[in-house]
Amino acid sequence: MIEAPTPMPAAASRLPRGQALRRGLAANPLLVAGGAGAVLIVAVAVFAPVLAPFPGDAGTATHPFLVLRPPSAQHWLGTDNVGRDVLSRVLYGARISPLIAVIVLLIACAIGLPLGLAAGYFGGWLDEVIMRVTDIFLAFPPLLLALALAAVLPASLTTVVIAIAATWWPWYTRLVRGQAASVAGRPYIESCRALGISRRKIIGRHILPNAVTPLIVQMSLDVGGVILTASALSFLGLGAQDPTPDWGLMVSEGQSYFTTAWWVVTFPGIAILFTAFAFNLLGDGLRDLLDPRRTFLR
Amino acid sequence: MKPHRAWLTASGCAAVLVLAACGGSSAPVTHKTVSQVFTYDTLSQVMVDGWDPATEYSNGILAMSNMYETLTRYNPVTHAVGPLLATSWSKSANGLTWTFQLRHGVYFHTGRPMTAQATKAAILRTVKLNGGAAYIWGAVKAIDTPAPYILVFHLKYPAPLDLEASADYSAYIYDTKAAGSGSLTKWLNTPHDAGTGPYTVAAWSKGQEFEVIQKAFPRYWGGWSGAHFKKVVFRVVPQDTTSAQLLRTGQVSFVEQMNPSLWKSLRGAPGVKLMTSPSWQNLLGQLNAKALSLPVRQAISYAINYQGIVAALQGAAVPSSGIVPAGLLGHFSNLPNYTYDPAKAKRLLNQAGYGPGKKPLNLTLTYTQGDSNEQVVATLIKSSLARLNVNLRVQSLAWPTQWARGKSANAAQHQDIFMEYWWPDYADPYSWFVNLLQSQKQPYFNLSYYSNPKLDSQINRVESLVATNRTAGVQLYRTMQDEILQQAPIAFLYNDNYQYAMSAGFSGLKVNPAYPNVVFAYDLKPTGS
Amino acid sequence: MIVYAARRAALAVLVVAGVIVLTFVIARVVPGDPAATWAGPHASAAQVAAARRFLGLDRPAAVQLLAYFGGIAAGTWGVSVHTHQPVLSDIATVAPASLELVLAALVIALVTGVPLGLLSARRPGRPLDHGIRAVSILGVSMPIFWMALILQLVFAQRLRLLPAAGEFSPGLLFTHPLARHTGFDVIDALITGNWQMLGSTLGHLLLPAIVVAAYPAGLIARIVRAQVLDTIGETHVQMVRALGFPERAVFGRFAMKLAWNPVAATLALVFGYSLVNTFLVEDVFDWPGLGSYAAASISTLDTPAILGVTLFIALVYVVANLVVDIVQAALDPRIRLR
Repeated sequence: MIEAPTPMPAAASRLPRGQALRRGLAANPLLVAGGAGAVLIVAVAVFAPVLAPFPGDAGTATHPFLVLRPPSAQHWLGTDNVGRDVLSRVLYGARISPLIAVIVLLIACAIGLPLGLAAGYFGGWLDEVIMRVTDIFLAFPPLLLALALAAVLPASLTTVVIAIAATWWPWYTRLVRGQAASVAGRPYIESCRALGISRRKIIGRHILPNAVTPLIVQMSLDVGGVILTASALSFLGLGAQDPTPDWGLMVSEGQSYFTTAWWVVTFPGIAILFTAFAFNLLGDGLRDLLDPRRTFLR
Repeated sequence: MKPHRAWLTASGCAAVLVLAACGGSSAPVTHKTVSQVFTYDTLSQVMVDGWDPATEYSNGILAMSNMYETLTRYNPVTHAVGPLLATSWSKSANGLTWTFQLRHGVYFHTGRPMTAQATKAAILRTVKLNGGAAYIWGAVKAIDTPAPYILVFHLKYPAPLDLEASADYSAYIYDTKAAGSGSLTKWLNTPHDAGTGPYTVAAWSKGQEFEVIQKAFPRYWGGWSGAHFKKVVFRVVPQDTTSAQLLRTGQVSFVEQMNPSLWKSLRGAPGVKLMTSPSWQNLLGQLNAKALSLPVRQAISYAINYQGIVAALQGAAVPSSGIVPAGLLGHFSNLPNYTYDPAKAKRLLNQAGYGPGKKPLNLTLTYTQGDSNEQVVATLIKSSLARLNVNLRVQSLAWPTQWARGKSANAAQHQDIFMEYWWPDYADPYSWFVNLLQSQKQPYFNLSYYSNPKLDSQINRVESLVATNRTAGVQLYRTMQDEILQQAPIAFLYNDNYQYAMSAGFSGLKVNPAYPNVVFAYDLKPTGS
Repeated sequence: MIVYAARRAALAVLVVAGVIVLTFVIARVVPGDPAATWAGPHASAAQVAAARRFLGLDRPAAVQLLAYFGGIAAGTWGVSVHTHQPVLSDIATVAPASLELVLAALVIALVTGVPLGLLSARRPGRPLDHGIRAVSILGVSMPIFWMALILQLVFAQRLRLLPAAGEFSPGLLFTHPLARHTGFDVIDALITGNWQMLGSTLGHLLLPAIVVAAYPAGLIARIVRAQVLDTIGETHVQMVRALGFPERAVFGRFAMKLAWNPVAATLALVFGYSLVNTFLVEDVFDWPGLGSYAAASISTLDTPAILGVTLFIALVYVVANLVVDIVQAALDPRIRLR
């Protein structure tokens, strides 16, 4: 999900860093829960071929004589409308969603970081132009631009990545620009310039590190949102195509059997919910931990 | 207002509204009054082909069968046609002259009486426009009207005209003078209807949920004594789970299609009745004869798991034998049909340079979006072909889009496998052959783009052969099917077994395979149970 | 104030122009070569060139863009491929149903989100706070399309408490037909005194609105909590406490007052977000709004309709943000000075 990124004011230190960290973790069970969930999902993604009882079902294998079987000892989560094991497909699906999220956010960073730094440091007309362009992109509610792009491009996971990255980069540009601008205006940066230190060193040594922390926090907050957006696009038929075991696609394929074979829709949906929830908890907790304004941790 | 009070007021209002909503809407139909409205629940838009009964060739017959009538109507019980707008008919000894006696006292919805002259005008116009299934009148050389209620057809060659006149397409009798001097098609598309049927159009909301509303035509020749539905509504519900729910709560009367497991789940539901019936509808995969060579087409035919498809569809499908379904002349259960034989398929693919370990073959299949049975079949085919190093790209498209792509003059846009249902235009196998397999310069329904001159001439002969020498005609149907199976321009996926779910609030529904999915609302008796 | 409003409006106009350019880019430039798509993958160069002429793509991009602009301004947003109607008139028909749904959802979101946020802020760090925070985050993590299916199954089918689909009971079409004035069913039913229809429309609105409200409710709860906790530390609120006002008043009247501002800003954001979320929900509930129209356009590859809907929602969103900005500035003079 996207929250309007808040600029970080000058930190008022309360406790030494390490101690604050440990107290923060203890006081923030949600962060721990989120982190555990995220680790679990990554583990499932990595070990899916070992964990899945029917790995072929995540590919083109079908079993027409086993369609729509309810959960049983052989198929723990039942089978879908062409006889594929739901558990195996859900496990393999863990490979898709977080990977898409990571790729999307890296692309958005790759665009947003340099643009934001440039806009914030140089200011002037470059800043104006970049800001107006991001304004235009931000004039679209988050899912909409992704939908429009995905609708005109051929349906595939690549399209989903491109469409969502195109929606996300302006937020990061804005965020980085805000940080860069506020740091660039400080007196000690002036002194650096006066001393003749190269622009690249100034940006690299002083501006960049300050911009990166809120960016990372924002990225961890956004993973959940990207996963939801990607599964929504697949649900609408614009993303993954059969037989890719994408959770959103599985929900849409099982829709017409839902009232008689509830397991086909329920388990992929729970997977999406669990993943988005875990990453959102993680992101939220991280933000609390790293943002010194949040004094109420104590 | 202070913030927290504002919040209290807002939530209070919301609570009141919610209570009102629950109160007002908690009327799932428990009333005992007899409903006068018959609601037909269908998956996709009905009037996609316009409102002209002469050229209609799609889903529109669902609505048109209530507004328009034909000279005769097929009776599934007697396996013969019975009287409708014609009360009796006879043919000459040589089969080239047919005489029909028309019913008296029939009025078009425009107010004019139906006479022999009006009937002749309608048929001639249908033939002239040459749309839809106008080919059914192909044997007619001339029409005479020696008396106001007598119609005489002079044929070029013998043909079963009584059967053809009962067709579900292009056989409607309508008032050609309805628009006066203006364009009749334009007038009809407003919409109006110029039929003789028990219902007439009351409203049309194109692209909306309650697409067509029909009301009773007071001057219908059958009269309105006894219990009849007074209104017919066509409701478009794309999700079959929603349709099932609407049926349970009594909000629709009849659901055209739902997936088999959903249909089974309605067994025993109060107020719901289930019905199965064999049909003359089959699902075909038309293989692109221009893009795919013979060994490849045959390989695909061997690569399909027919028994698996039937099993996966849980009672909605029965295996096909040839192109003609059981119950029609020309059906044979002992044809050289394809069976699921991956080894044979592999050998045939190898002949063409494809197969496991060789170069991969990339194909496209299109099917109609929203049809869950087609989706299952497409997935199963994709899976079977994948094992043979054939990558099938499956595309689900809305029917008008799917058909437009297949018909496109640009051959580059054509798919490799076109999945669609077919059902006959009248109770005869001819429709499959003439529409799907005869050479077409501009593809219409021959979406295999197949051209076989010998088959073409056989198709041209078969109708009159059946009329003059039935045994020889039936044998010719067999010969043609042997050839078609060998040439494999079409994969015969399965034959439909209709599974209908409907409200128990009416009686009298008889499934008529000659009019697929059509419900003649006038014949039903609302009982309000 | 006027200057501020004028400045914001001018900016909005600039943004709108940019939005139109962006949709043009998506429509014409992104899908590779539309002429090649039109002509097919095996087409010859001559066929592609002919297609390009036919589609008007051989004109210079600037000319095409101007033509597009002119079309938008004149109200010809293209013709829908599947309804054969002008896209703008299609949108005008279906938009009210979605707006109704989104507004109802926002009402539900406010009514649930604000009190939850306040409750959470009362005792930060305690189990109740963590619980409410978890629930709010759950709300924003919910896959909407899945929630719609689950709720429909549980409440409409298994428990029979609420209707499953549609905007109102179809029987009412004949017994209490709704006279349409505004296009909004609820408002029309209210102003014509059609109580049966009003009850029916509200009942059918409830379930879809709850689904759409999940995300905004979670978001609003989190923002209220964050804002209230921020302002609690501020001097003037501490003074109010010192003056002896009860805790409830400290939170409710004073801290919350300052929290309304960011909540209002969020409303514009979630309004746009929820309007797009209807794409995922309307199909399940058979709700004949923008979402169903967009979903149908996507499935029929109806590019003019898809882009028309995109443009429409983007414009609505820009206007909503503009309105909220101006209202905020009117309420909080500090904003105008920025």
